[in-house]
Amino acid sequence: MIRLQDLVKHYRTEEIETTALNHLSLEVREGEFLSIMGPSGCGKSTLLNIIGMIDTPSSGSYYFLSQEIAKASERVRAGLRKSTLGFIFQSFNLIDELTVYENVELPLIYTRMRAAERKQRVEAALEQMNMTHRRNHYPQQLSGGQQQRVAVARAVVHSPKLLLADEPTGNLDTANGDEVMRLLASLNEQGTTIIMVTHSLRCAEYGRRVIHLLDGKIISENHFSPNPA
Amino acid sequence: MLRNYFVTALRNLLKQRMYTLINIGGLAVGIACCLLIALFIADELSYDRYHERADRIYRVAASIKFGEMDGNLAVTPAPMGPAMLQDFPEVEASARFRTRGSHLIKAEGAEQNLKEEDVIFADQQIFEIFSFRFLEGDMGSALREPNTAVISRSAAERHFPGQSALGKVLILSNRYSYRVTGVFEDMPASSHIRMDFFLSMTSDEEALNPIWLSFNFYTYVLLKPGTDPRAVEAKFGQMIDTYAGPQLQQFMGVSMTDFLGSGNRLNLYLQPLTDIHLYSDLMAELAPNGSIQYVYIFSVVALFILLIACVNFMNLSTARSANRAKEVGVRKVLGAMRGQLIRQFLVETLLLTAAGFMVALALAELFLPVFNNLSGKSIRLPWHEPVFWASIGGGILLIGCLAGLYPAFFLSAFQPVQVLKGRLASGARSGRLRSALVVFQFSASIALIVCTLMVNRQLNFIRSKELGFNREQVLILQDTYLLRDRFEAFKEALAGLPQVSSVSGSSFIPVRGTNLEYESNNNAFWPEGQKVDKTVILNNWSVDHAYVRTLGMQIVLGRDFSLEFPTDSQGVILNQTAVESFGLGPDPLGKRINTFAFGADPSLPGPPPENSYTVIGVVKDFHYESMRERIAPLGLFLNRSTGCIMLRLQAQDLPGTIGEVEARWREFAAGVPFTYRFLDDEFDRMYQNEQRLGQIFLSFAVLAILVACLGLFALASFMAQQRTKEIGIRKVLGASVTDIIALLSRNFLGLVGIAMVLAFILSGVLMNRWLMEFMYRAPMGAGPFVLAGVLAVAIAMATVSFQAVRAATADPVQAIKEE
Repeated sequence: MIRLQDLVKHYRTEEIETTALNHLSLEVREGEFLSIMGPSGCGKSTLLNIIGMIDTPSSGSYYFLSQEIAKASERVRAGLRKSTLGFIFQSFNLIDELTVYENVELPLIYTRMRAAERKQRVEAALEQMNMTHRRNHYPQQLSGGQQQRVAVARAVVHSPKLLLADEPTGNLDTANGDEVMRLLASLNEQGTTIIMVTHSLRCAEYGRRVIHLLDGKIISENHFSPNPA
Repeated sequence: MLRNYFVTALRNLLKQRMYTLINIGGLAVGIACCLLIALFIADELSYDRYHERADRIYRVAASIKFGEMDGNLAVTPAPMGPAMLQDFPEVEASARFRTRGSHLIKAEGAEQNLKEEDVIFADQQIFEIFSFRFLEGDMGSALREPNTAVISRSAAERHFPGQSALGKVLILSNRYSYRVTGVFEDMPASSHIRMDFFLSMTSDEEALNPIWLSFNFYTYVLLKPGTDPRAVEAKFGQMIDTYAGPQLQQFMGVSMTDFLGSGNRLNLYLQPLTDIHLYSDLMAELAPNGSIQYVYIFSVVALFILLIACVNFMNLSTARSANRAKEVGVRKVLGAMRGQLIRQFLVETLLLTAAGFMVALALAELFLPVFNNLSGKSIRLPWHEPVFWASIGGGILLIGCLAGLYPAFFLSAFQPVQVLKGRLASGARSGRLRSALVVFQFSASIALIVCTLMVNRQLNFIRSKELGFNREQVLILQDTYLLRDRFEAFKEALAGLPQVSSVSGSSFIPVRGTNLEYESNNNAFWPEGQKVDKTVILNNWSVDHAYVRTLGMQIVLGRDFSLEFPTDSQGVILNQTAVESFGLGPDPLGKRINTFAFGADPSLPGPPPENSYTVIGVVKDFHYESMRERIAPLGLFLNRSTGCIMLRLQAQDLPGTIGEVEARWREFAAGVPFTYRFLDDEFDRMYQNEQRLGQIFLSFAVLAILVACLGLFALASFMAQQRTKEIGIRKVLGASVTDIIALLSRNFLGLVGIAMVLAFILSGVLMNRWLMEFMYRAPMGAGPFVLAGVLAVAIAMATVSFQAVRAATADPVQAIKEE
């Protein structure tokens, strides 16, 4: 599904240049649950952003479903984002001015889906995340765990092929974190490919495959059997 | 999709109530100003366009240089109109008007006279040229017979309330009767000729007078369709040669060739009817016209205020970007295209703009009376005009896009990776463009303040300038000619009042009346024996013995008129300019100046008889025209002139004195309205336009500053908000409150400084041009600039420091914990 070859990413400020990704190559197959671990500044978020097509590599190539993305236009990338990708962030990133329902509906709006179908999909996603009773609340009125469940609902409402999660449990306590992880695992079982960045080994172990990054390079790779929990 | 935009926009606007209010408020004030000024300009531009044949109507004007007299006149010789119709095939119709000031008019059988200002004598052909809507009578026969009148609906209601005016008789000045042969719907306010009474000239001697060298008639012509006015103008030279040439030879003893050869000029030209109101400022205009310059000035002011309001909008929206960054990031990650985000923000701006317009309409309606008072107009908001609503809609789109495009592009350009990490695009923090916009706002405001101060300075200069006469405590009684043979007796009765220190009768007053109430008269004079080379057009005023004394003029040489010298009736008192123009030298007393005897008949052969006057005194130059004009040569002659009576009063108990004067008036002039003015009021009225300009500048300067401050206030609060963490750290490290305030204010003061320089240059150039119109003007001076600068800095400081103090006194622990 994803093939990264020789990916390099530099960040340039006025005086110094930092290398976030250093000739990194990686392949991810459909249906995988990949966790990316590593210390702060190792380049894991950069990698996730490039895979998520909201950042572009300095050099190297990126094939998504056999399509070259590294040099694709913003129009193409935005098109792919809204049709095939879903995002979950550490800080939830819900829009404060929109209700739970409207936040979840947002991706469907950009795909120009008809209202009736949108309603059905949003209801289903909320149902799945057990958030239907909060549909008319605003994000500030919810707990962190609830907010993240809304974010997950938003990420999956348009049935993306690939779900990208950046420290999804970073702002949550253990109980809420575990609940979110269980949701992700069940989504994966239903066929959604997931790539997740995390600090926590406990979370990483939900994935079948874990890679460790250091200074922009993959330094090790582990495979787990499916987590019984 | 659109619903989502609306929902987001509305909730955002509601959440940020203060900024929404500032945004809508500022925009509404700007738009309301703009709207009022636009209505004013539309009104000015609409003058005389209601005439069906407006595009073919022209007024003939004369450009004359004759000795000292040099200028353009709105009036032309009496025989010119008929001659044009007869000689020029391009002319379809011609008609003349002749004003003779205001008149006392009453219906036949009525007791009380009414003073009517809008009375004019006219040819019957005016109905072939101009568009009138007749309510009664027949346009084809109206004014055809002698002593007939056509009057407006409101005049008919004044004099014949509740009855038909047709066929009724009006009495002018208790003497002449005019039969009403037509009633027309009142002429629109946007008309440079606006009269209530048109009186027939059919039997008027002056109208039949064949003299081409006197200019008293307004001549309008209707050209045939497709005629090039320049082709008509090209024939004027020939016409003047044919008709005026022989008369010039006969009266002045010079041929036209010699006359023009010695630097004189006698040209005629055409003014399109629709240009008269805005472009014509000739001598003897029917009424003071508007000025295209004011139209330009107001347009620029309107544009400035609108831009200031738009800039506010842009500044606030981009400053607020910090709050919207996350939303932009999320929407982008979810696949929103940039175009979609731009559209979203434009929808938001359009919502705000629409709200702003609604508030602006309310404000405009609310302040319309004030504005009308200020501008001297009677404008109404054209609620029923589809064009009005179309332009409102267009305005919303235009201003919405103008103010919204930049923020939309700015906000939609955020990189999601950056903003979702909490890092803001650097533009949101400093923003060179935002600074430039603040500079623009303040430049415009400061420039307006400087202009206000300059106009006021010139007005003060005019008010305090030594006029050469004393305008205080002088009461002018009008229409005293109606006293006829009781005129002198009435003067004596007034002189007997203890509060009256002197009384003088004359139609000549040293102010320019707004409605031609006061006479002006000039004739060619020359020092005895130097007719051709020293001829001067002299204002000759008929006055009595008490005139100089009553008005407090100064005799600098010789003496005032005196009853002890019966020969004074052949004497003249010249002003200093006249002495110089005649070249009479340092000792003008006893020298003689000559002029043609009054009533000379050009049909008699030989040179006409002359009158000769001896200079008995020189009066110090006094201002009798607006300060725009240079003081021209003038002579005072001892002659009966009964238009007005001037009273110099003692300071105490003015109302009592006026009551006493009125009581005497009732005795002497029963049935005639008692009309009086104060000389200083009449003087002030000459500068009504300038006062208006000053007031309008002042109002708009205040508004501009207000709007600019709203923007600055909001901007400062955002800056403080964004720098909360920096301020917290600085305080932890030991910065005092004053340090923080200085830190936050420094930026803005720098900007205001730059704005000041720009504003000074702009307003300096502008005001210099305006002042050039005045022959007598206040020196430019640094005062207004310094004052405007100090004012701007003070206002900016007050605005910014409010926010700065709040930020500086906030709890630093809170600030550092955030992020």
